[in-house]
Amino acid sequence: MTAVLESIYRGITYRGNEGHWAWILHRVSGLGIALFLSLHIVSIFLVGIGPKAYGWVHATLYVSPPAKILEVFLIFGVLYHAANGMRIIIIDFFPALGKYQRLIVRIELVIVILVFIPAAIITLASLF
Amino acid sequence: MGVVTSPNVKRKYGAPSFERYSWFFMRISGLIMFLAVTFHLLYMHMVVKVENITFENIVERWNGPYGLLWKAFDLSLLLLGMLHGYNGVRWSINDYIHHKGWNLALRILLYILAGILITAGLAVLINGPGDLR
Ligand code: HEM
Ligand code: HEM
Repeated sequence: MTAVLESIYRGITYRGNEGHWAWILHRVSGLGIALFLSLHIVSIFLVGIGPKAYGWVHATLYVSPPAKILEVFLIFGVLYHAANGMRIIIIDFFPALGKYQRLIVRIELVIVILVFIPAAIITLASLF
Repeated sequence: MGVVTSPNVKRKYGAPSFERYSWFFMRISGLIMFLAVTFHLLYMHMVVKVENITFENIVERWNGPYGLLWKAFDLSLLLLGMLHGYNGVRWSINDYIHHKGWNLALRILLYILAGILITAGLAVLINGPGDLR
């Protein structure tokens, strides 16, 4: 256990600036989406059981107030993971862009935040 | 990243290996999912709206005139998402769990879970909606 905590601690305290934080957030968001996807598949599986089972999961997992708040995290995670993943893919296939890495990470964050803010407002608006 | 290298493996540097294919798969699946997940989220949130996604609404899509298309789309999202996501979890396990026994145990658990979820996702797409009340 201590070895595990140690390797996670080293992963977090390694000082690589933008690229390193971008990577931590990429991993955390990816793991979070994988957790959501697992629950999501179980919830859609309930459609195969019947209207009552699905109605229950729809009310608790998708439209209840706590679900709306978690959904804001999901939206941020998907937006960030998708944008940052595209950055990784583009730079891997066009390595010449690597020297603009820092600039590209910053542009990417601005885009993510610009899309995230209205999406979060729309999602939370249904609470009121 | 995320690769447990074994000193016993004799392979030329850069030669094809499972990890190399998995690296490539993460990029190809990511590229396709960028479009697919964006469409899925925009459609469910802006066109249908989450509060309207009832049992009947899903049945309408699956059994409607474009039912097969919707199911094919859901299928691709299911396979790409599960393989990409769970391969990412496997990378993370390999990065943090260095104890051989625990590493293997966790990965076996992960593969079983992935098998169950993919089977459940396939089952509902093949069997269609149920009528148990
Ligand atoms: C809160 C956001 C989301 C909502 C409201 C939502 C809604 C739905 C609905 C209603 C279905 C049933 C299929 C249909 O009606 O055509 C479905 C299926 C599916 N969704 Fe989502 N979705 C969301 C986010 C996501 C995300 C982020 C992923 C990530 C990959 C995803 C992956 C899937 C997959 C794989 C299926 C097929 C499941 C199966 O075959 O059992 N969804 N989604
Ligand atoms: C929306 C489009 C997506 C894109 C463009 C994308 C892109 C990528 C890329 C390029 C990597 C490899 C990173 C590396 O080699 O360091 C990656 C890793 C990963 N992805 Fe995605 N991805 C997407 C969707 C998803 C979804 C839906 C899930 C969850 C089901 C997911 C979960 C993960 C995980 C857990 C990792 C491993 C992270 C790590 O090792 O640090 N991704 N993604």
